[in-house]
Parts: sequence; C-alpha cells; structure tokens
Amino acid sequence: MINTVRNTVLAIANKHNFGYITPADFNLYAKQAQLDIFENYFYRYNEWLAKQNARVSGSQYADIVKNLEEAIDLFSVEESLYRNQSNVYNTPNETNNDNTYYLMNKALVYQSVLSEGTTDGTSGGNNSIVDSTQDFTSMGVSVGDYVAVQIEGGILFLTVIALVGTDQLTVNSTNITTSGNPYAIYSASTSLKEAERVSHSKITMLNVSNLTAPKTNTPAYTQSELTVSLYPSTINAVGQVRLQYIRKPKDPKWTYTTLEGGEPAFNQGASDYQDFELPASDESNLISKILQYAGISIREADIYQAASNKEIKEVQKQG
Amino acid sequence: MAYITGYQYYENSGSSPEDKNWGSYQYISLEDIVNNFMLMYVGNDKLVNNVERYNVLFHAKRGIQELNYDALKETKVVELSVCDNATAVLPPDYINWVRISLYKDGVLMPLTENVNTNFSKSYLQDNNCRVLFDEDGDILVGSGILDGDRADGIQKTQYLGDGKMNGALGYQIEGKWIFDYSIGARYGLNTETANVNPTFKINKASGVISFSSSMADQIVVVEYVSDGMENGDDAKVSLNKMFEDYVYAYIKYAILNSKFGVQEYIVNRAKKDKSSLLRNAKIRLSNIHPGRLLMNMRGAQKWLK
Repeated sequence: MINTVRNTVLAIANKHNFGYITPADFNLYAKQAQLDIFENYFYRYNEWLAKQNARVSGSQYADIVKNLEEAIDLFSVEESLYRNQSNVYNTPNETNNDNTYYLMNKALVYQSVLSEGTTDGTSGGNNSIVDSTQDFTSMGVSVGDYVAVQIEGGILFLTVIALVGTDQLTVNSTNITTSGNPYAIYSASTSLKEAERVSHSKITMLNVSNLTAPKTNTPAYTQSELTVSLYPSTINAVGQVRLQYIRKPKDPKWTYTTLEGGEPAFNQGASDYQDFELPASDESNLISKILQYAGISIREADIYQAASNKEIKEVQKQG
Repeated sequence: MAYITGYQYYENSGSSPEDKNWGSYQYISLEDIVNNFMLMYVGNDKLVNNVERYNVLFHAKRGIQELNYDALKETKVVELSVCDNATAVLPPDYINWVRISLYKDGVLMPLTENVNTNFSKSYLQDNNCRVLFDEDGDILVGSGILDGDRADGIQKTQYLGDGKMNGALGYQIEGKWIFDYSIGARYGLNTETANVNPTFKINKASGVISFSSSMADQIVVVEYVSDGMENGDDAKVSLNKMFEDYVYAYIKYAILNSKFGVQEYIVNRAKKDKSSLLRNAKIRLSNIHPGRLLMNMRGAQKWLK
C-alpha cells in the first residue's frame, strides 16, 4: 500500500508543481499520519459506542463499532512477560521486544506452576530443557504441557514434546543454546485467570481487604513506567503472566534503490521495508494526512487546505 | 458435554476426597457468579459499566453473607465435648447459633438460652477497693466468681422444672423403682423459664459457650449459621442455585445504588428486582411439597374430645 500512497501523494503535490517530497520526508510524514489515524480509532470507537447506546448505529454491515474493533485488533498481541524480579514483570518495550505497547488490554495469569528451576545443561541439544535437580516425571509433567524459558531478551513459550529420562524435556524450539536459563512448567489443563488492573491508590487497601484481596484466582496488577507488579506476590514464576495488548504500529518505510540521474525506484525487497499496517480502507485518510503534513512543510497553504477539506468531508461521511 | 462426568461426580476421578463433588450440582461457585456478572451485566451497552471486578466480588460476597444469615437455611452442625469448666469454644466460622443441644443417652435435648448473665470478668482490687494495674497501666483482670460459681453448680438459676419423674418421690418394690404421678393441678408455672435441661449463654467476647454446671464433660451439638465465606477460601465459596438470580440482582442494585449520576427510577427498578427475586427464592427454598401438605392435612378430620 505504501507505494500507491506515495505515488498518489506525489501526483497530487506535483499536479501544479507545488514541490517534491523526498523519500526521507515521506517516511516521516507517513509515520505521523499512520499514528494520527491509529490513535483516532480509539476516540472514534468511543464516539460510536455512545451512538450505539443512543440507538443511532446499525448492525451487520452498518456496525461501525465492530469495524473499528477489527481495525484495532489488527494490532493485538499476546505474549508472556519477561520477569524482572520476584512478582515484577517488564512491559513490552523496545529493549526486549519489537512490539511497544500502546495500551494493555488484559493480563492473564497461570494459577499454578508444575515445576520451576534453572536449566543446568545443554547436553540434550537446542531443543531440550535439562535440569539435573528435578524429577519431571514425579512432578507430573507430561507431553503437551507448557514450558516458559527466560532467555536473554525474552521469553520462549514452548510445548513439551517428549520426556527424556527424569530430568530432561524435549520441546518445540531450537533456540535454547545456553544453560542457566530460568524456566517454569505449566500443566496444559491449568486455567488462565485474568488479572485486574488496579490503581496505585487502591492496591494497598485492596491487599489487606479480607473480602477482596487479590488471590491466584482473582489476581491484580499495578502498572509502572516499564513494569507491572502482580498480586498476590506468589505470582512470580517465569512466563506466569501473559499480556494481551495493543501495540503501536510499526514505522512505515518506503525503501528504494537510487538510479543514476533519475528517480528513486521502489524496492520492496529491502530488509528495512515496512508497509503501512492500517487497513486498506484507510488509504485515502493516509493520503490526506500525508498531504497535510507535506503542505505544512512546503508552506503551500492550498495543499494543506485541500487535504484538510477532503479529510473533513471524509469524517462527516463516516459520522 | 456434561459439566461433570459420572465418574468425576461419584468418585472424584479416583482422587481424594471421594465425596468432593457429591451434591455439588445444587451450587454455583463464587467464581462463576463474578464471571457471569462481568460477562452478562457489565458492558458498554449495559446498565453497569466501568466497574472493577473487585467491586463485583465484594458485592457478591456481601450478598452471599446476607443470605447465609437468614435465607439460605445452610445450617452447620458441629459436635463438641464440653470442658470441665462447663464451656465450649465456638466454631471458627460461627456467626450465630440456631440450636444448641445436649446429646445424652441417644437423645438430643435442646437447651434453653439463659437470659441472665452467667459469666463475668473480674478486676483485681486491693483492700481499699482500688483497681490494680500492671506496669503498662492496664487493669489486672482475673476470672470472675460468677464464672466459678456457674461451673461449680453454686449459681442459682431461674430455669426450673419438675425434673425426672415429675419430681415425685419414688419407692422400691422388689428391686424396681415406682414413681407416682403428681396429684392435682399445678398453677402459676412460668413457661418462659420452665426447663429441666441445662442452660447456656454465648460469651461473645471470649468466643465460648458458657453452660450450666451439669454440662461439664457432656457432648453438645451446636447448630449454627456462618457467613458462607469458608474461612476466606474463595474456591470453596458457593451458593444454592435457587438464589443465583437474586445475587446478580443484588450486585446490580448495590453497584447502581452507589454510583453517581444513575437515575432514581433505574435504582428503584433494581431494588424491586432484588426484593422480588429474594422472595421467589425463599418460597422455592421453603420446599412446600404437595406430599408434605397431605401429611399435615391428614389430621384435619380428626375428632377432638
């Protein structure tokens, strides 16, 4: 989509020789335009919910709320959180993950842990969990159970394929290249419980409440800058917390090969190529937004005005 | 798929305890109540929205507690040995008593609650009647004479009855005891205090039941109500399904009633909903069966002299 958007933007901008937008500038405007539209989904979602409650929204193809949910869910990710220390887990961010979260939707917690420890060997190969201090058989570990292994920079959430002896498991990964990795095993039948987000002003009182203190079947968490703290504090195993969140869209990048004396040619095969992640239905919005930014940048009030008018009409049409 | 297989129900899938699931179908768990409420009654297009789960959990537990006090008829029964000092410690989840009985000679004898005080603390005093204190300035407390007299059987009681064999004197003929019936009418009997069995009083502050002296070393059966919180083990908290809808209505009302900006008519509707569902559930649980009514009505045509 990014190439067609760029071609359209250039065509409109060049129609009256208003100016040229370089690939670097285009990428900056494209990033900003995509973020604008992405953030606007949430405001529009809220507006349409109010309209739905006022019975001015339809169903099926007229169900705008559902359409917006689908657009937002394109950015939904679920993954295990990296354990920082005891019951504190890192939120997804650039330092340990490609996906930076935009908002956390729900945190899920495994109620019980079958076994946990630290791997102490790699003799079984890159697909083995070896811990000579454990007897996995007597712990009740069986094929199909889940193993969370904390390696440098992330969590591998794996499935047990076979038990080899009593202290070794074969799992569906070939990325376990080192020993000394903390791990935890969860029964496939263990249910996940949703942890509730609680504000810092409430958590202290909640923890001492006799009726509503967080328990393993009704856990809670508080959020800080880069971490979440789980309650009760017995929730502290590797991979015990899974987060479903909405990530930020990846920065779009129109990549090219430079031709001598000519225009840059679009190169979709570049390693850093990144298309827009918004649905195709937002293509015209993207073009309008980019034109606005381009218009502002090259100080052409006409372009800005034209793009702005187009967007206003679009918004009016969509409600 | 069935909620629970026959094997799980009867034998707990071979695990211990075997009786874990017996009769479990009568009940809905606290977790299910909260989950169902959050799913069905909370949302952007529902009366209740933007509510934390711990709020719902709190009101669900409060609703269950209230039901346990008077509506549920979930009476717990525990058998205790009374100590030498004629006291027994209250059960750990005790809230209020329903009936306390002496079990003796194969018979349960319901005991009467003593409305008079039969226990007390005692402040230690010197010869000049001055109260004594410890080094922290707290009053020195000892056991009261009242308590001692009760345990020793010295304390007089207003609860009197004819006693065994109507209090009549007996005489022995050929190794057998013969007792006469009392002759003549007895007037002025205070039925409120006419009781031949031992008595008891709940010492709430000390957490014990103080019995009259004859209860020492006897077996007592305490029927009591708890609050259904199962000592804080949420996994065990459950509710009879007859009250399921009531609890949802109770939670909804409790939340709407304490929320800012909810129209009064909505709060009132929720309140009526709650009250009528409680009434319905109580009627259902009263178990008025035609068969039972028939048994009672059999005596309707009986001739009375």
